[in-house]
Amino acid sequence: MTDKTKGDLLQGTLDMLVLKALQLEPMHGWGITERIEQWSQQVLQVNQGSLYPALYRLQRQGWITSSWRTTENNRRARYYELTEAGRRQLAAEQESWERLSAAVNLVMRISNT
Amino acid sequence: MGILRDEAKKLSGTLRQRTAEPEMDEEIRFHIDMQTEKNLRLGMSPEEARRAALVRFGGTERIKEEARDEYRSRPLEDLVQDVRYGVRSALRTPLFTLLAVLTLALGIGANAAVFGVVKSVLLNALPYKEADRLARVYSRQLDGTLERSGMSAGLVMDVVRMQRSFTRLAAFFQGVQDTAYSSESGPRILKLTLVGPGFFETLGVPARLGRTLTEADGNTGSRVLMLSYAAWQRELNGDPRVIGRTLRLNSRPWQVVGVLPRGFVGPMGEADLYLPLDLGATLRDPTRARRRHWLGVVGRLAPGATVEGAQRDVVAIAAQMARQYPDSDAGFSASVVSLRESMAGDTRTPLILLMASAGLVLLITCANLAAALLSRTLSRRQEFAVRVALGARRGRLVRQLLTESVLLAVAGGMVGLLLASLGLIVLRRLELPALPDYAVLSLDRGAVLVTFLLALATGTVFGLAPALSAGRASPQGTLREGTRAMSESRRTRRLRGALVAGQIALCVSLLAGAGLMARSLWAMATAPVGFDPDGVLAVDVQLTSHKYDKEEALIHLYDELNQRLRSLPGVVSVAQVSQLPGLLMDRNGLAIQGVTWPEGAGQPFIRYVDVSDDYFRTLGIPLLRGRAFGPEDRPGAPKAIVISESMAKKYWPGGPSQAVGARVRLGPDFESPWSVVVGVVGDVRNDPALPEPEPMSYASIRQEPWGNNFLLRTKGDPLALVPAFRRELAAIDPEIPIRKAETLRAYLAEGMAGRRLPVLLMTAFGALALLLASVGVYALFTSLVAARERELGLRIVLGSTRGAVAGLVLRGGAAWMAAGLAAGAVGVVVVARLLRNLLFGVPPFDPVALGAALLTLLACATAALLVPVRRAARVDPITVIRE
Repeated sequence: MTDKTKGDLLQGTLDMLVLKALQLEPMHGWGITERIEQWSQQVLQVNQGSLYPALYRLQRQGWITSSWRTTENNRRARYYELTEAGRRQLAAEQESWERLSAAVNLVMRISNT
Repeated sequence: MGILRDEAKKLSGTLRQRTAEPEMDEEIRFHIDMQTEKNLRLGMSPEEARRAALVRFGGTERIKEEARDEYRSRPLEDLVQDVRYGVRSALRTPLFTLLAVLTLALGIGANAAVFGVVKSVLLNALPYKEADRLARVYSRQLDGTLERSGMSAGLVMDVVRMQRSFTRLAAFFQGVQDTAYSSESGPRILKLTLVGPGFFETLGVPARLGRTLTEADGNTGSRVLMLSYAAWQRELNGDPRVIGRTLRLNSRPWQVVGVLPRGFVGPMGEADLYLPLDLGATLRDPTRARRRHWLGVVGRLAPGATVEGAQRDVVAIAAQMARQYPDSDAGFSASVVSLRESMAGDTRTPLILLMASAGLVLLITCANLAAALLSRTLSRRQEFAVRVALGARRGRLVRQLLTESVLLAVAGGMVGLLLASLGLIVLRRLELPALPDYAVLSLDRGAVLVTFLLALATGTVFGLAPALSAGRASPQGTLREGTRAMSESRRTRRLRGALVAGQIALCVSLLAGAGLMARSLWAMATAPVGFDPDGVLAVDVQLTSHKYDKEEALIHLYDELNQRLRSLPGVVSVAQVSQLPGLLMDRNGLAIQGVTWPEGAGQPFIRYVDVSDDYFRTLGIPLLRGRAFGPEDRPGAPKAIVISESMAKKYWPGGPSQAVGARVRLGPDFESPWSVVVGVVGDVRNDPALPEPEPMSYASIRQEPWGNNFLLRTKGDPLALVPAFRRELAAIDPEIPIRKAETLRAYLAEGMAGRRLPVLLMTAFGALALLLASVGVYALFTSLVAARERELGLRIVLGSTRGAVAGLVLRGGAAWMAAGLAAGAVGVVVVARLLRNLLFGVPPFDPVALGAALLTLLACATAALLVPVRRAARVDPITVIRE
């Protein structure tokens, strides 16, 4: 990687990010990559190679559902949508993520002084 | 539910696969188009934009392959893989597997064996054509003393003539009689019964060889008979030319006209010979026609007729006859029961009880193995976490674990089947008199199938909890925790606690039931029988020929044998009786001079037996009033009767003193002269299941020479006198065979055998349950200690005493035990209520039985928890902290 500011996704966090991206509204796969990049201010780049398997996986776990709709530009696309279980899962993952990252931050600051 | 949804989705995934493929293509195309558009907006040339988009996306085929993997399932390959993996993981922990399979084998085997018995007794087809259309007709005494009595020949004829519910009815002799068969190799004793015209046609049983008996056989009084298949094989070596052969029975010739099919058993029980029943002479004698209740009746219900309808029909006929013949038929009604119910008899309730007990044991087995697998799942969490991290799906893990538990259960089921068939072989050997004769105890295809299904269900039930808990675990957490992640989640621990509580509850209920039944049996076996059965030899002889048809010859034989036996060394006294106490069958109608029975009630029927002079002395039955029989009771002298105390109290307001000297008549013949009550003796308990001894009457063998049972009170071992008895008997008449020689105790025990077995089995089930529950308690506490080892070590470092630490662990587990006991109390109430009607001499809430059940369980549970709690107290703080 030439661009130092761009990071790879931490293992296991893609699922959480996908859920998060879908929190507001249903979206198609392309939209999800765009939203994650946009929200992370282009730091996080979603690898499409892992995005679609992840989407199918989440779907099978019952956290998202999908349906074919037409986009604003009148094209057919598969839209993904959070289920109730997905919302709960997102909340749970968010909480544990926050705890973990807070703890990591804590440790990192201490070792800097 | 998660797995179900998962499976359903995967299944629909398989079905959708064809449509999914183009959809996937379209989705990827859409994505690349969007990327291309974005690149164009960023200022790339169209070709460049497209190429960059493709590069950014990566290999589309690889992505599609991965996505497809997520979609698709391969049920068969997965199953094979699961099974192979399951077998490997079972072999990796041989001890656990062995124990689990053994436990399951015991649980499933117990159920399979009991089911085998239940099936053969209650479910299998009776050996007749359309047996569910067959019913028995009985006489019933209105005062409730006799629910199912034989019918009089007269009433049978009336019913046959007037009824509209049966297409065919047939009478038969209710029991079997021994008869002496002169075979080429010496005298043999065969069982004989009598069947009326149309008996085999009614049952729908054809002859295997020759023909069945016809109406003409009975009417002409010709001496023909049919052989059972077993007798044909055993006595005549299956002679194919047996039809027309002549057999000598009681020194008279009988001609074989037919052989019955294999496995045929009549409603009267197993018999070797079937002779035609001729009611002609009986019907011509008014006394014998209506006053002797000795006939069984079986009928085939007419199309559309029901047992209840037939019952109404026959009851109406009986009522009409009671008006027509008030002297003989008053006080009697009739009842109709299905043949199955009449033949299965008293075995139904104990069998259902056993089935329920075995079911409880299986439930405990399930709970136990579920708990054991839970803790094994715990120690395998690492393995599961790695598999999840490597991409295994949770549903797949759950299924894997379920496959493992079902594998265990199926293995257990197979060993269980083996145990069950061994158990049934033992039961067959015992030849239980309590089981109906038609029951063939074996595991047929149906029983094997049921066992297999049971094993599958068992495996699923006990595998479900651990499988789901493994599926729920988060891999990150587990992998992070590393090797010390041996403690279980609070949820798992709660589940385990609940499982142990459930085991305790079931176990207490089962133990309480077994305790009540055992106490009841004990009360029955130890209730005073009214005589002293110890040190008495009982010999049953079979009088062979018409040599003894004349009373004088018989009396002479009895006298001579008595004299010879009395002079044998070691013999204290000798008595003779027509039927042994405890096995009395006969009853006679009672009339008392000057007493008329209440209108419509009819006469009471009293147990009746013929005894010799020394009978009361030999058995130690006390003479309370008057005298026993003596030489003055000659044939021809006024007939003497001795009655029991309860009979004297029941029928004479002044009791025994008033009864002595009273004139009575016992028997069907109303023309005979009155008999005189000469004495009153102590009560003897004939049926141990009855709370009170029945009224009993005795006549003298001098006046009614019926008495094939000889009783010898001896000084030493009663059985040592058997050869001497044989010798003396042979010296008088070498042709008289001995049917059976046993101690009187053994005879009585035989009568109890049918009652003892279910109690024994139930107790065995209780013991098994106790063992399983104790193991459960042990495992619970062990895991409690393991989970808190660090904490306990810290507490000790911080100054807590070892006692306090042990108390801490104890409190954690004791709560579950208390919950189990509380639930068990509910179970005990249910059990006690269910058993209420089966108990003898024990209240349903017998404190001894229930207390013993509780204490046994507590003792075992305490022993089981002692080891882990001691380990808790001995936690070495240094080691624990250093870890």
